[in-house]
Amino acid sequence: MDTGNSEKLNRRALLAGAVFLLGGAAALTRFTRLRDGESVADGPAFTTERFALLEQISETLLPATDTAGAIDAGVPAFIREMLAQWGSQETRVEIAAVLDAVERHAWSRFGMGFLVMPLERRLDVMKEFDAARIAAHDGAYRKFKWLVLIGYYQSEIGATQELRFELVPGAWRACLPLSEVGRASAVY
Amino acid sequence: MDFDAIVIGSGISGGWAAKELCERGMRTLLIERGRHVTHRTDYQDFAAPWELPHRGQVPEDEVRRDYAIQSAGDTFNSATRQWWVKDSEHPYLTPEGREFRWLRGYHLGGRSLTWSRQTYRFSDIDFGANKKDGHGIDWPIRYTDLSSWYDRVEVFAGVSGNSEGLEQLPDGRFLKPMDLNCAELDFKRKLEASHPSRRVTIGRCAHLTEPTAEHIELGRGACQMRSVCERGCGYGGYFSTLSATLPAAQRTGNLTVVTDAIVETLEYDHGKRRISAVRVVDAKTRQRRSYQARVVFCCASTIPTAQILLNSKSEYFPKGLANRSDQVGRNLMDHVHGVGAIGHVPGFLDRYYYGRRPTGILIPRYANVTEDAQGEYTRGWAFHGRGDRPTWNRAAEMAGVGATLKARLREPGPWQLALSGTAEMLPRADNRVTLHGLERDAWGMPLVHIDCTFGKNELELAAQANKDALDMLLAAGCTDVRPLFPRLSPPGASVHEMGTARMGHDPSTSVLNRHNQAHDVPNLFITDGSCMTSSGCANPSLTYMALSARAANYAADRLASGEL
Repeated sequence: MDTGNSEKLNRRALLAGAVFLLGGAAALTRFTRLRDGESVADGPAFTTERFALLEQISETLLPATDTAGAIDAGVPAFIREMLAQWGSQETRVEIAAVLDAVERHAWSRFGMGFLVMPLERRLDVMKEFDAARIAAHDGAYRKFKWLVLIGYYQSEIGATQELRFELVPGAWRACLPLSEVGRASAVY
Repeated sequence: MDFDAIVIGSGISGGWAAKELCERGMRTLLIERGRHVTHRTDYQDFAAPWELPHRGQVPEDEVRRDYAIQSAGDTFNSATRQWWVKDSEHPYLTPEGREFRWLRGYHLGGRSLTWSRQTYRFSDIDFGANKKDGHGIDWPIRYTDLSSWYDRVEVFAGVSGNSEGLEQLPDGRFLKPMDLNCAELDFKRKLEASHPSRRVTIGRCAHLTEPTAEHIELGRGACQMRSVCERGCGYGGYFSTLSATLPAAQRTGNLTVVTDAIVETLEYDHGKRRISAVRVVDAKTRQRRSYQARVVFCCASTIPTAQILLNSKSEYFPKGLANRSDQVGRNLMDHVHGVGAIGHVPGFLDRYYYGRRPTGILIPRYANVTEDAQGEYTRGWAFHGRGDRPTWNRAAEMAGVGATLKARLREPGPWQLALSGTAEMLPRADNRVTLHGLERDAWGMPLVHIDCTFGKNELELAAQANKDALDMLLAAGCTDVRPLFPRLSPPGASVHEMGTARMGHDPSTSVLNRHNQAHDVPNLFITDGSCMTSSGCANPSLTYMALSARAANYAADRLASGEL
C-alpha cells in the first residue's frame, strides 16, 4: 500500500540527483566566468558550487587551528540543513545572495573566484567583506554570520573542544580566576 | 456531589489551592484545559545544544504562522515551544493600534513551568497604596493578614534569598542565597556608596539551594545551576506545580486530575446562591459535560477567569457571574516592561564564574519609599539586573574573521551589567477584558477582547526609571552606557497580567471579599492574578501562592463548620 509513496520518493530522489549533477556541471563553467553583476543565485539554494563556496567561506571565518575548523565541525552541512528546514524562503534567498556577494567581491578585488584563490587571499576577501557588512548593519550578513557561529559553537566540537560546556554544572561559583575556569562557556 | 472542591486551572494558584484542599481532606477535582504533562519525561532539559533540533531554533515559517505573539517571550525556542499556545489556534482581539501581548501555555502545570521563578513579598506599602493615593479601591487585607501564609508557602516551595530588612520588600523564610559575581559585587559597593537609599541584593527565587527533608520527600533535588529552567526541570530544582504542589496533592489520595477540559461556564443556582455545576467542553471531542462540587476555586489566570465569569450569564447575573459590581474584566494590569540600561564594566578581566546561576540581582523599589519622587508620579519600580561576560554570541554583530576571531571568542567578553525596570501599573476601569459578541474559538468560547494601555503615571515611571538606570551605571563607573530597550514593551509583556476580579471591602465596587470569596457567590473563590487590587512592582506569583493557600484553608474551615 506504500508503493505509491515510495515510487514518488524514488522519483524525487532521482530528480534531486539530476539537479545535483547539473549543479556540478554548471559549477565548472561558472567558476571561470562569473563577473561583477552576474549571480549564481538562479538555481536551487545549494548547487554543488554554492555549497563549496559555503564550505570555504565558513572555514575562512572559523578556520582549523589547534582545534577543528568550521568544516570539520560540520558547519556547512548544518547551514544547508537549516536553510532547508528552518529558514523561510526569504532567508534562503538572503543567504544565497550573501554567498554570491562574497564571490563577486573576490572577483572585483583579485580578479579570481573565491574557491581558486590562495588561503591568505580568502582571508583578505572575508576581512574586507565582513568589516563593510558589519559596519553597514547588514541584516542578511549578520544572519549568515550567526548561522556560522551557532553552527560552530553549538556543535559538540565547538562547545566542548573549542569552548567549555557542562551539561550539569552542579554548582555556582560566582567569582574565580579565569585561568581556573579555562575558556568561555559555550552557553550563556 | 461528585467532589468537595473543584479547582479550575493547574498553574501556580491552582496547584496551591488543590494541594491545600486535598491536605484538608477534601475530595478535589483539578480541571486543566490543556494536555497532560508528566514531570521529567516530558521535559527536554537533558539535551545539549547540538542535540536540539536546529540548535533550538524554531523554523521561521512556523514562528510566523503559529507563534507570532508567543515567540516574543524571552525563552521561546524548540525545547520550550511546547509550553506556549499556538496563536493560530488561540486568537484574541485587541483594538487597532493597542497591542496587548498575552503569553500563555495550555498544559498541566501552566506557567508554573515557564515563570521566571522570582519570588517577592508584597509589603504594606503595596497593600496600602490605593488607599493612600486614591487610585483604585482599598485592599481589604494588609501584610499582617498574609505574612504567615507567605512563611508557609516559602518553606514548602523553597525560596533562595538574602534578608535585607527593608520595609518595602519584607524578608522571608529563605534558603541560602546565591552569590553575586565580581561585577555585581563591585556595582553593589559603588551604587550603595553613591546612592545610600538604594540597595542591591541577589534575586530571590524559588530554587532549592539546600533542599529540606520535605522537598526531598516530594522527589525534589538541589538546583544544579544549569539554567535550562524554562524547559522544565527534572531535578525539581525550582518550584512548579509538577515538581511540588501536584505530587503533594496526589499523595493525599484526594486528588482527581482532568486534562483537556475547557471550562465554559459556571452554572448558578439562585435559590441556593451557589454554583451548582462547572460546565466543560472536551478539548479533543468537543463534547460537553459538567461536574459538581460544594466549592469552586477559579484559578484559570486573569484573562480566562474574566472570560469564564463573563460567559456565565444568568437571569440573576445578566452581566456575568459574580459581576453585580460590573468590575469583572476591568482594572487589567501588568507591570511596565522595556525600560533599563546596559553598560560595560571595566576591569576584572582575569575573573570569571563557573555554572549558570538561574537568577539575577535586584534593586528594590526606592521611589516614593526611601526617596521622594523626582517628578509628577505616584508609586515606583524595581530593577532586575545581571552582570556577566558575554560569550561567542556577541560576535554576530562585531567585525572579525579567521583565527583572530576564534582566539578572541575562546575568552569570555568583557564584563557588562544590565538593569531592567519593572514599574507598577495603576488600576484603571478602562483597561478591560470583554467578550466579543459574535466571534468564537474552535471550542465555542466567545473570544476575549483586550483593551489595555499604559496611562500617564506608567509613562512617567518608565521615563524616570530609564533615566535612573543610565545614571546608576554611570555612577558605578560603567562605560558605553546605553538604553537596554529601544522602546517600551506593550502591556502584557511582563506576563504579570492581573486585576480583573479584584478584592475589596465593598460588593458594589469589587468582586471578591478579603478571603478571595465572591461577594455574591459564597462557594466561588478566585485566587489567580485576577484578585489583585493593585499591582505593586514585585513579581506577583508568591502573593498568588499565599492568597491561594489562605483562601483554601478558609474555605475548608467554613465547610467544616457548616457555614458554607
